[in-house]
Amino acid sequence: MTYLLRRLAVFPLVLIGVSIVVFVAIRMVPGDAITAMLGTEAGLLTPQQRAALAAYFGIDQPWFVQYGRWLLGLLHGDLGISTTYGRPVLDVILERFPLTLELALLSMLIALVVGVPAGVFAATRNEKLSDLGVRIAAMIGQSTPNFVLALLIIYTLSAGFGVLPAMGEFAPLWQDPLRNLGQLILPAITLGFAFAASVTRISRSAMLDVLSDDYVRTARSKGASARSVIWRHALPNALIPVVTLSGIEFGYLLGGAVIVEQIYALPGLGRLVLDAILQRDYALVQGCVLFIAFNFMIVNLLVDLAYAALDPRIRLGEN
Amino acid sequence: MVKHLTRKLVSGMALAALVGIAAAPLEASAATLHMAWAQDATGLDPHKQTAFSSLRLLELVYEPLVRVDASLKIVPAIADSWQFSADGKELSFKLNPKAKFQNGAAVTSADVKASFERILDEKTGAAARANFLSIASIDTPDPASVVFHLSQPDVPLLTAMSDVNAAIVPASEIAAGSIGTKAIGSGPFKLDKWDPNAKEVLSANKDWAGGATGVDGIEISVLPDETAILAAMRTKQIDFALLNDPLVATLVPKEASLQLNRVPVLAYHVLQLNPSRKPMTELKVRQAISCAIDRQEVLDTASLGEGKVTGPLTIPSMATDPGQLFCYKRDVEKAKKLMAEAGFADGFSATVIGANGEPPTAAAEAQVIQSQLAEIGVKLDIKMMELNVYVDAWLKGDFDMAVALNGGRADPYTMYNRYWTKAGNLQKVANYIDDTLDSQMQKGRAETDPEKRKAIFAEFEKHIAEVSPWIWLYTSYSYTAQQKNVAGFVPTPTGTLFSLSKVTIQQ
Amino acid sequence: MRILKAIFAHTSGRIGGFIVGLYLLLAMLGLFGLTPHNPLTQYRVDRLHAPSAAYWMGTDLFGRDVASRLMTGIGQSFTVAFFSVAFATLAGTVLGLAAAWFGRRWDGLLMRIMDVLLAFPAILLALLIVAVAGPGTWTSVLAIGIVYTPIFTRVVRGPALSLKAREFVDAARTFGSSSGYILTRHLLLNLVAPLTVQVTLALAWALLTEAGLSFLGLGTQPPAASLGLMLSDSRNLMETAPWLMIFPGIAIMISILGFNLLGDALRDILDPKMRRAIA
Repeated sequence: MTYLLRRLAVFPLVLIGVSIVVFVAIRMVPGDAITAMLGTEAGLLTPQQRAALAAYFGIDQPWFVQYGRWLLGLLHGDLGISTTYGRPVLDVILERFPLTLELALLSMLIALVVGVPAGVFAATRNEKLSDLGVRIAAMIGQSTPNFVLALLIIYTLSAGFGVLPAMGEFAPLWQDPLRNLGQLILPAITLGFAFAASVTRISRSAMLDVLSDDYVRTARSKGASARSVIWRHALPNALIPVVTLSGIEFGYLLGGAVIVEQIYALPGLGRLVLDAILQRDYALVQGCVLFIAFNFMIVNLLVDLAYAALDPRIRLGEN
Repeated sequence: MVKHLTRKLVSGMALAALVGIAAAPLEASAATLHMAWAQDATGLDPHKQTAFSSLRLLELVYEPLVRVDASLKIVPAIADSWQFSADGKELSFKLNPKAKFQNGAAVTSADVKASFERILDEKTGAAARANFLSIASIDTPDPASVVFHLSQPDVPLLTAMSDVNAAIVPASEIAAGSIGTKAIGSGPFKLDKWDPNAKEVLSANKDWAGGATGVDGIEISVLPDETAILAAMRTKQIDFALLNDPLVATLVPKEASLQLNRVPVLAYHVLQLNPSRKPMTELKVRQAISCAIDRQEVLDTASLGEGKVTGPLTIPSMATDPGQLFCYKRDVEKAKKLMAEAGFADGFSATVIGANGEPPTAAAEAQVIQSQLAEIGVKLDIKMMELNVYVDAWLKGDFDMAVALNGGRADPYTMYNRYWTKAGNLQKVANYIDDTLDSQMQKGRAETDPEKRKAIFAEFEKHIAEVSPWIWLYTSYSYTAQQKNVAGFVPTPTGTLFSLSKVTIQQ
Repeated sequence: MRILKAIFAHTSGRIGGFIVGLYLLLAMLGLFGLTPHNPLTQYRVDRLHAPSAAYWMGTDLFGRDVASRLMTGIGQSFTVAFFSVAFATLAGTVLGLAAAWFGRRWDGLLMRIMDVLLAFPAILLALLIVAVAGPGTWTSVLAIGIVYTPIFTRVVRGPALSLKAREFVDAARTFGSSSGYILTRHLLLNLVAPLTVQVTLALAWALLTEAGLSFLGLGTQPPAASLGLMLSDSRNLMETAPWLMIFPGIAIMISILGFNLLGDALRDILDPKMRRAIA
């Protein structure tokens, strides 16, 4: 309990650190909301026009004043107004988040469904040809850049088979589950591909470790069947590293998949933050990064707790 | 197990395919045009937006006083007729009595006056203000008449007024301060929904003075990757799309069910030299660079030949034969001689900047130019930047050379006065001006006789190609792709999608 | 030497070692200009030429030889990967040791800073760094290096803490060795195993991150080639000239495969118990 509190106490510190880094970094990048809106035409503005627009975008004060103002708003639960959307930043983020969450869950599902059985299988065939096959397949999975995979999938399906899940308008799960699934399945496969490969490798090596452990050997010597040894005795323990890995990977995916969302035209968090950077929508960039960082920390905390729950040998709070 | 794994993937894809097919019919509503583009509009205030996509969207919702048609002739929009006074210092309009805003109110002279006063107000931050500075005052003798009093004769003013940046907005909305949050125009479509970087939903404006529209509505999806747009068109999810990258556009004709529309545009690809930086300060060095560049080859390589080599004048009615201009035929020997005369026989090093994806051919152009200039000893270092970073450097004139795609206007004065007049707002970008250029521009602005204007600007073109502050390369095409059952779209050199108002979808 | 022998005796070590060795050789050849053609020469009559005897892997949009560009591209990608991982290893080791050694406030402060970096989505952090510093080879190195520093800091700090607690360090201290000596001698020696494994894996990640950055136009600058930039340039030509995507695609996959195989082998060799710890 004190461990949990201590971890939670660190959250605000880290978040403030994150917010300062974003705040300063995004303002150091050349170009601002005015050039983002007007492009080269911004050169036609008179100084008075420029000042009026700067005031409109809230970038007319020194950065620390802006930061102070922003922090004050944050204390009241206000992340500011997005200049592109003309709406509160939190509303925009929460609108995009379900997609990112769903995509992350779906990718993880694919990874676990494919990866764990493949890893266990390979472990039981240690150093045989089929083991090598799985391992090479897994390594290829891990080494394919996801944008290559995404482009290949789209091209093969549309040019080869004339089909493609509906691009464009995204249907939320609760409105049209079938269409929603159709839109997310390919991106999920794209992201799940490398993820499944990591899960395969980690479950294989964890399984190998566990199979060589004393208690499994004991179970074997007591005459338990090979099947029961693997699935009842070994697997639960081998799952611990799988849980850790999946959790961490899931935490990353919650940050949005910039490139995959871009190619599949999905309005998720990754694209939201990329577009916000490109359009110099400072409030939105800050809000997004803070939101992503917060999720990442929560997921990591949960992973650590799950780790402790699964493995009684581990006591949290020591390093 | 490997087999097992692939089977899982295959069945996953099959499922996706099934769902994809199942989802498609839901979208197919005959009267709605499904459209896609890679870059979304950046805002809704017609007086402030200058991004290509923003203008294309707002042209469907808002109307200016006049429009230009496909041959760049001025045609009526909100105004039925117009006339310059004999001394060229008065421009009067008669408004279309049927013109109505989408909130039901009639468009009156008061709205026109309020709109132009808003553009001229520095607090608005309208970039197009620079084009309207000759307006001294605006009179509204009756609700259907407007008279602009000018401080000096200004022929290009009418063309500038055809831009959606000079759109007429309701005076009531200006007073309410809601321009930019609500889009209430008098155009063919109403904007029902805008989800930035995701989609737009437009519905037909039944009260449009221009008559009935061909479709009931338009749904625009933002698909950031153009390969994905093509894929979506192949599967018939998208009826109509805007394409930027010639590498993608040239694939469209290979599909039996798709049609590619292309039209030469006014925008021009250019290598901007910075004559305030050494050694581009030297006339002979700039000329040598001009002679060393094979414009056709830049076009052939970077744009797959999709376009036309151009001089500074890209407007068809004004354009001259570029072959007559200084060094438009590559001449490496002459270039080397000029370099030697300028004292740079051994060449020099410089950096060329470009924006990523803006235009999509920028990096390729820079690389071809780099290899061509290497032949006369000029060592170019390429720096590709994110668009906004590039714009920032460009506006500050902080570059040796820059590859750019600069926008064109239907009038050469409006197009170039920002760069090539002494008072030009972008003199700090162009960094070159001489008396000839300035006086030719001023003469062209005041001249009302079309033939004489053409001659003035031809002189301007010849002179600027010779002093070579910039190396004009080529004009490319604006591309739209459509299913073959979409009828009635007329592409225009300004890139406007206004004719979508008359487009129909055949069964 | 012993370790080379061990790698050679290990199946995946042998394959991985061979792949990495081959890539290093190709990169060297590229570096010394020993390529079939000059990778920058634009043979304009032969633009978008399919693979043939003259151009083994075809030519690109400019008529440049893809095979030659691939060789120099491997060199470029490996340079970015090696230097960024070297940066991350060095920075991570120093910070991790400092955190473990000084403890308390320093530990807390350093690890919170690492938490801040970790909580950033990796590609966004890299993107921001590149946007601020301007794109280029060394900016990519810095960006990728900073992104991976927290991971190395954690890898080093954990074992360093437990080693510090163990008696032999205390014992050494009582015998009067200087703290610098203790650090290098005892701690670093015990960190070699986890670090080596982490380095090989990080090299694979770095290659992928470089590809991602280049895809967004923020990595290697033209006309130089990197595997990521070649892939990214090929995307709109995928249908017209598929060889532009296939060869760099395969090249990047095999290189990562090589590092992963080598990493696995090193893990097995250096510390059998590590398998669990790494997980």
